[in-house]
Amino acid sequence: MLSYALRRLLYLPLSLFLLSLLCFGLRAITPGDPVESQLPPAESRTASSKPAAYDASYRRAAAALGYDLPTFYFSLNNAALPDTLHRIGRPAERRMLRALTLSSGNWPAVQDYYLAVRQLAFGEDTEAGINSIPVARRLLLQDDPKAVAAAVNSLPDDQLSQPVKAAFSQVMDGSQRHRLLLPAFRWHGAQNQYHHWLLRILSGDFGNSYLDRRPVASKIGQAMRWTILLNGIAILLVYLVSLPVGLYAAGYRGSRFDRYSTTLLFILFGLPSFWIATLVTNYFTTPAFGMDFFPSMGFGDIPDGASWWTALKIRGSHLFLPVMCLAYPSFAYVSRHLRRSAVKELDQAYVTTARLKGLSRSQILWKHVLRNASFPIITLLGGLFPALLAGSVLIERIFNLPGMGQLLYTAAVGRDWPIVITLVLLNGLLTAAGLLLADLAYAFTDPRVRLGSATTFTNNAA
Amino acid sequence: MKEKRKRHTVARWWLIGLLTVAVFADFIANDRPLIASVNGETRFPVLHEYGETLGLAEHYSPVVRSWKRVETDWAIWPVVPYSAGGTDLKNGNYRSPFGEQDTGDRARHWLGTDELGRDVAAGLIRGTRIAVLVGFGSVLISLLLGIPLGGIAGFFGNHGLRAPRYHWWGWAVGGTLGVLYASLSLIPFYRLESTVAITGLAISCFALGGWLFRSLLSFIPALKKETAFPADTLVLQGIELFVNIPALVLLIALIAIINQPSIGIVVLIIGVLRWPSVARYLRAELLRIRSLPYIEAARVNGIPKWRILFRHALPNALGPLLIVSSFALGGAVLLEAFLSFLGIGIPADEVTWGSLLRQSRTHPQAWWMAVFPGLLLTGTVLAANLLGEEG
Repeated sequence: MLSYALRRLLYLPLSLFLLSLLCFGLRAITPGDPVESQLPPAESRTASSKPAAYDASYRRAAAALGYDLPTFYFSLNNAALPDTLHRIGRPAERRMLRALTLSSGNWPAVQDYYLAVRQLAFGEDTEAGINSIPVARRLLLQDDPKAVAAAVNSLPDDQLSQPVKAAFSQVMDGSQRHRLLLPAFRWHGAQNQYHHWLLRILSGDFGNSYLDRRPVASKIGQAMRWTILLNGIAILLVYLVSLPVGLYAAGYRGSRFDRYSTTLLFILFGLPSFWIATLVTNYFTTPAFGMDFFPSMGFGDIPDGASWWTALKIRGSHLFLPVMCLAYPSFAYVSRHLRRSAVKELDQAYVTTARLKGLSRSQILWKHVLRNASFPIITLLGGLFPALLAGSVLIERIFNLPGMGQLLYTAAVGRDWPIVITLVLLNGLLTAAGLLLADLAYAFTDPRVRLGSATTFTNNAA
Repeated sequence: MKEKRKRHTVARWWLIGLLTVAVFADFIANDRPLIASVNGETRFPVLHEYGETLGLAEHYSPVVRSWKRVETDWAIWPVVPYSAGGTDLKNGNYRSPFGEQDTGDRARHWLGTDELGRDVAAGLIRGTRIAVLVGFGSVLISLLLGIPLGGIAGFFGNHGLRAPRYHWWGWAVGGTLGVLYASLSLIPFYRLESTVAITGLAISCFALGGWLFRSLLSFIPALKKETAFPADTLVLQGIELFVNIPALVLLIALIAIINQPSIGIVVLIIGVLRWPSVARYLRAELLRIRSLPYIEAARVNGIPKWRILFRHALPNALGPLLIVSSFALGGAVLLEAFLSFLGIGIPADEVTWGSLLRQSRTHPQAWWMAVFPGLLLTGTVLAANLLGEEG
């Protein structure tokens, strides 16, 4: 038992490590420029008017944020690509250099070309360069070798653009493509983006939201309160209703109550909650059909100095529909599973013994059967933590509640990666912790479960 | 029992009907006639469209842009003579199925219209196609991943696959290195861009690297000892790692990253995220089957173990697996509706059950836009769950 718990606890960091790699990977492949979104708006505006100044401030920002470091502890690549490409801050320039190097294999020549183009693009703004400077600025971001060749050819034959042309012909002439065939492994050590990112996350600094530049932790904290409130009430409701329903349906198997509740629960389980939620919001919160029973959106405002009764009334009327929509699928799920396992338990010999002893049916059900039949409840408990976020994405969207689900949606649609990634990490942590807790609780309620052997793993995870 | 069988039959027919509607969607709802005679020439506009897409047929000339304005000698129209995206501005602004409609000679909008007069019935039929595509497609992908992994884990366990150590290490290390070399050096060197060529190169590099390393390592005496491949442990650990991934949250994050939403990606992601349940079920099933007497008999008779797996064990496990995976079908259809309801992942111009539901939120009076897609969705989920419950 203890050794099993320890082993599971050892898995937890491994899972989280993989999850962190996944999140970091997501961050890395995300389109868009992370540095640009962190620059003050005043700086971004200089991008077209003073490109050289913008470039300098961009580089400073990239260095301050650690975006000029290697991505990971090591890199695997072909020998043609240099190990210093990560120092180029802007993703578009990096792509351009990468594409040129891959097509020629000659990094030193590409480097010379890059320096010449930069010299032209961000050098003195002179009359002579009126044609060539814009071309050079475009060249910095152009990653298609053919288009680069065309653009270089279109440069005027003057003093200013001569170095660029010469460097480019070097790139194309000194073809060393065979270097692509050599593999190269490079070790970067702890000075890398992943390491820094992980350390920041571990120390509790999740960065700032791209959308409004507020700290991620405070945004999530605010949203979490509502989600916990919503889901806490829903879970409470689920257990309060489904325990008696499931147990009595099993205890009075074949009765009318059993037949009706079984059918009803099956249908409830299949009804998509977001459909019901849509219908409910359409009918009961808008005046469209004259059934405007509930306030429409949000959690409601409580006026200052209101009595607790008024506060409860306002909150209650706002929470009633979302909690119902959130609770009914799990309610149906738990009741059905509880009924099934309780029916199985009722066939056991100990129930007959209890009945012979003269115990009443409700005594048997509540005192003896419930404990043995409570596995579905524990399974749900394990799934509860991830459901906190996942299940409420839709409900919070539909009822427009400012919880974590809504936050995830707006962040994902607005590409607000710091928030999305923190939520994914948090959810992964909660999922892993929930599953671990469920497994352990499983063993405590049923001492017969020998954790650690392969067969029990499948039983409890199924 | 009899009642149950009847319900199963209903559920099965529901799914079959859905599949049929999805396959023949273009012939059921279309704003082109099935057969029409124009100026003495007989045309098959719907069928011809397929021919044009496949490059088998030329455009009819003269080209007909809008069939409803063409004078035809006679024409056979589909049951719903409207297309999913097609607007009918005369009947715009949410016409109720029972209300007044200004359709002239054409059929009524049986299930009403939306703001731009788009036919809801045509949208539902188009949505059926997408739901079926996502449902069956993602189940197929999860089966493709889950059956080999779960099958090997369950049938061979930790001790069933035995070979010298150099065999396992050679293939694992050599294969990985081969694929890495292909992707880092060979693909940019040969400037490969087509998916087929890249996949082919990766596979051949895997085979070459694995074989090379295996032969090299076989000279090391320490690696000659025969060991078992811990298939079961590896697969179980993979499942455990996957189970810890918050699927829905990750799905939203992944789909929002992708610049161009497409149904294929949604199908792929849902399928990949669902393989653990398939693998787990098949593993448990094969654990049971492999201890049955007939497998023992086959083994004693000297039938090779891979042959036992494919010819004797797997066929018996696939039936129950397919029944259980109809659960997954319902789940995937629901997830697709969920995503298109949120408006992520599915292209914005596709009409789906979820997107109709979302539209209904902007205009609550249009009950027909909320009720009908929801009924279809519920029916599908219930049918899938009924079949998945299994006797």
